[in-house]
Amino acid sequence: MAEKVGIYVCHCGSNIAGTVDCEEVARWAGQNIRDVAVARDYKFMCSSLGQQLIEDDIKKEGLTRVVVAACSPHLHEKTFRRACQNAGLNPYLCHMTNVREHVSWVNNDKKAGTEKVKSLVSAAAERVKHQQPLEPFFVKVNPATLVIGGGIAGLQATLELADAGYPVYLVEREPSIGGHMAQFDKTFPTLDCSACILTPKMSEVGQHENVTMFTYSELEEVSGSVGSFKVKIRKRARYVDYDKCTGCGICVEKCPRKVVDDDFEAGLGYRKAIYTPFPQAVPRVPVIDTANCTYFQSGKCKVCSKVCPTDAVRYDQQDEIVELEVGNIVLATGWKLFDCKRLPNYGFGRLANVYTNLEFERLCNAAGPTNGKIVLRDGKTEPQRVAIIHCVGSRDSRYNSFCSAVCCMAAMKFGHLVLEKTNAEVYSFYIDMRPNQKDYEEFYQRLLEEGMHFVRGRVAEVTDAARRPEEQGKLIVQYEDTLLGEQKRLPVDMVILMGAMEPQADAKEMGLKCGISCSMAGWFTERHPKLDPVATMTDGVFVAGVCQGPKDIPAAVAQGAAAAARISGMITNGKVMIEPIVASIDEESCSGCRVCNNMCPYNAIEFDETKNVSRVITAMCKGCGTCVAACPCDAISGAHFKNEQIYAEIEGILWDAQPAAAATEGGR
Amino acid sequence: MSGKTTLKKGTFIERVIASTPGGERLVHCIQCGTCGGSCPSGADMDHTPRAIINMIRAGEREQVLSSNMLWACVSCYFCTSRCPQEIPITDIIYTCKRFSIAEKAYKETDAVALAQTFTGYVDKYGRSFEFGLATGYHLLNRPLKMMAMGPMGMAMFSRGRMALTPSKIKNIGQLQAIIKKARQIGAQQHAGR
Repeated sequence: MAEKVGIYVCHCGSNIAGTVDCEEVARWAGQNIRDVAVARDYKFMCSSLGQQLIEDDIKKEGLTRVVVAACSPHLHEKTFRRACQNAGLNPYLCHMTNVREHVSWVNNDKKAGTEKVKSLVSAAAERVKHQQPLEPFFVKVNPATLVIGGGIAGLQATLELADAGYPVYLVEREPSIGGHMAQFDKTFPTLDCSACILTPKMSEVGQHENVTMFTYSELEEVSGSVGSFKVKIRKRARYVDYDKCTGCGICVEKCPRKVVDDDFEAGLGYRKAIYTPFPQAVPRVPVIDTANCTYFQSGKCKVCSKVCPTDAVRYDQQDEIVELEVGNIVLATGWKLFDCKRLPNYGFGRLANVYTNLEFERLCNAAGPTNGKIVLRDGKTEPQRVAIIHCVGSRDSRYNSFCSAVCCMAAMKFGHLVLEKTNAEVYSFYIDMRPNQKDYEEFYQRLLEEGMHFVRGRVAEVTDAARRPEEQGKLIVQYEDTLLGEQKRLPVDMVILMGAMEPQADAKEMGLKCGISCSMAGWFTERHPKLDPVATMTDGVFVAGVCQGPKDIPAAVAQGAAAAARISGMITNGKVMIEPIVASIDEESCSGCRVCNNMCPYNAIEFDETKNVSRVITAMCKGCGTCVAACPCDAISGAHFKNEQIYAEIEGILWDAQPAAAATEGGR
Repeated sequence: MSGKTTLKKGTFIERVIASTPGGERLVHCIQCGTCGGSCPSGADMDHTPRAIINMIRAGEREQVLSSNMLWACVSCYFCTSRCPQEIPITDIIYTCKRFSIAEKAYKETDAVALAQTFTGYVDKYGRSFEFGLATGYHLLNRPLKMMAMGPMGMAMFSRGRMALTPSKIKNIGQLQAIIKKARQIGAQQHAGR
C-alpha cells in the first residue's frame, strides 16, 4: 500500500516566507509529489497550533509519513517527532528539511529560493517514504562526573555535584587548583580579596569526600558516549609521593635552586625547583621542576630527599595513566593571556616599566613578590603617574576581534588600588567603557569620584624617546584624545597593558578529544548561544567559564553551577535516551574480515571469535556510517541512513532533471 | 568581517570606499584614535585621521576635501600599520586627495602643486627627480624661498644625495601604459558615480 505523506512548509514568521513563496511550495508539493495526501503551509509550525495541524492530519487523514520544511533539525526535530508520537505515529517516520539556514537566510532571490525549497521538499518526501519505525533505547547514567580545569568555574561545578552526593573527578594541569583567580589580589566591583573568597572553595574541594583530585595531570583520551564515558588521565610525575607527603614545606625551604616563576608569579617572582605554586595551594604536595632541578640536570644534590621527614621524594617516579568511567564531562579549561610582545609599539619586554595585567595583579597582591607594594621594576621607586591601556590584543582584528569583557572593570580595579596605595595619578586609555553588569556602572562612578583620569583614545605608542625636558627618563604615552580631537603625549612612570583573554593554546585539541568544536576565535561552541549556553553538540559534554568565551568571575561561577545542575538532572533521571540511529551488522553476510573493527572512531565494534563475525555495540555507536562504507561485503547498514533512503533522497532532489525523472518513471 | 558592505550608491562614503583598494574596511572603524595618536604630522592637521574617517561617515564631503590634513600626510603608513581594524587609512587619504584635486575643493595650498609636480616627474621618468622637483616647484610657487633652499641643495649635491639630471627607469613605456590605464579607469569611475 502506498504511503500517505503530509508536507508542512513553515513560514517562520518572515524568516522563511520573506525569501520563499511557502504557499506556492505547498501547492506545488500537493500536486506534483507522489503519495502526498496533505500539503500545507503555516505561519509557525513549531507553535502548538502548528503541531496540532500535524497531529490532526495523522488522525483524520491517516498520514503514515510527515515532512516538515522549516528550520534546522537541531532546533525542532524533537518538537515534530513528539507531535507525531502524540498522534500515534512512530517519531522516526517524520523528517525535517532545513529551508531556513540552508535557503532563506542565505539567499535574496525569492524565485530561486522557492525552487530550491521545492527540490528539498521533494527529496525529503521521497526519502521519508523509505524511513522505518525505530525505537530509541536508553543507557544508564554513570553518576560520576569528570571536571577538567580547577579554576573557579570548574571548582563551582565540582562542589555543586559533590555536595549533591555525586562523585567528581577533578583534573587540573597545574600543581594546584585555583586557576587565574588565585593570582588576583582584589575582585571587582566589591573589592573583596580574591584569595579570601577562593581559598575556602579550594580547601572544600580538597577535603570533600566525593571529590578525587588529579592535579599536575592532563586528559589523555576520551571514549564512549553520554552516560558511560571512559577516560584516561595522565598523572604527570611530581617526584613526590602524594600519600606520604605531609605538605610541611621543608623541601621547598631547603632547595638551593631558585628560578624565575613565569607561571604563577607571571615572571615577577621566584620559586624553587621543588615547589608549590603559592602558600594556600591545594594540594600542598610540591612538584619537582626537572628542567631546573640540580639533581635531574647533574645527578647531584638530593637535598629535598635528605630533608624530607617522611621520605616522600621519589626521583624515579613515572607518569601514570589512570582510567576512569564517568557519565558526563565538564570542560572548564579557562584562558591564557595574550602575548603583549606582539604589539611592539607598546614596548612590553623592551621597556622595563611596562607591565601586563597579570604582572600587575601579582605586583599589588599582598602575597606577591613585592608584598603588595606598587613599585617599579627596580623594586623600590613608587610611580608618580600610571597609564593603563585597555584593549591590548582584543578588539583588534589582527589578533582577537572579540572584546575581552573584563578589562574595563579590571583597569578600574587597578586604578583604585594605585590610588589607594600610592600618591600616583592614574590615567585609563579606553576605546569604549563597558561596565555593564550589576554594580559595575556604580564602580565607574566611584573611580570618577576618586579622581582616576579617563581618556578616550587607544594609545598609539609607548616610548622612552623624550622630546621635551619633562619627558626625560619617563615612559611617554602618545595618543589622540579622541573627544578633543587632539594629539597628545603624557610622560608616566608605569604602563599597565590590559592584555586580552585568549583561548588556551590546546583548546582545539581538547575539543577534539571530547568531540566538541571551537568558534573561529577558538572558544568552545555551546549548543545554543542563548538557550543552551553550557551544553554542547556532544551529549554529556558541558562547558563552563572562560573556555566558552571571555567572562568575569560571577558569570564563570554561574556557568559552573549551571553545568552541574544539568548533570545532576541527568544523574537523578538515571538514564539517558540514545538515538536509535546506529549501524547493525548482518551476521549472515559478515565475512569476519574485521576491516570495520579498527575503523570505528568510537571503538563501538567488537568481534565475536566463536561465530567469527563482527558486532556493533549499539550504546557506543554514533551512527557515523564509517563502517557501512568500509564493509567489503555490504553486511553493515546504518539505520535511518540506508542506501535506499539516500538514493530516494537524491532522486527526489533531482525531480526536474530529465534522465533521473525518466529512471524514476520506468523503474523502482 | 565579511568585507561586504551595503552602502547607498553615490554617497560620499560609498564613493571613497569604491575608489580605494580595501576601502570596505572603513566601515569597521571603532574610532579608537590609534591613527590620530600615531600620525607624525598630527600637530599640523586641522583634523586627525580618525576625525576624517568619522567625517567621511557623516557625509561631511566639503569639510573632508578642503581639510589641510590631506596635504599634511607624509605617507608614512603608521596609521595603516597600527590600525586595529586594518583600515587602509593612508590609501583613503590618497583617495580624498584625488577627489579634492578633481573637484578643486582644496583651500589655498601649494602642497597640491608639489604633489602634481612630483607625480609629473614620476609619470615622465618612472622615479622622483628631486632637483627638478625642488627648483620647478619653488620657481612656480614660492620663488623668494628658492634662495634659502640653496645651501641645503648644495650640501645634498656634494654628498651625492641629489642628481642634477633625471634618471629614467628601464622600459618607461610599460609604466606609462599602466598609468594611462589607471587614469582611464579612474575617469570612468568618476563619470559613473
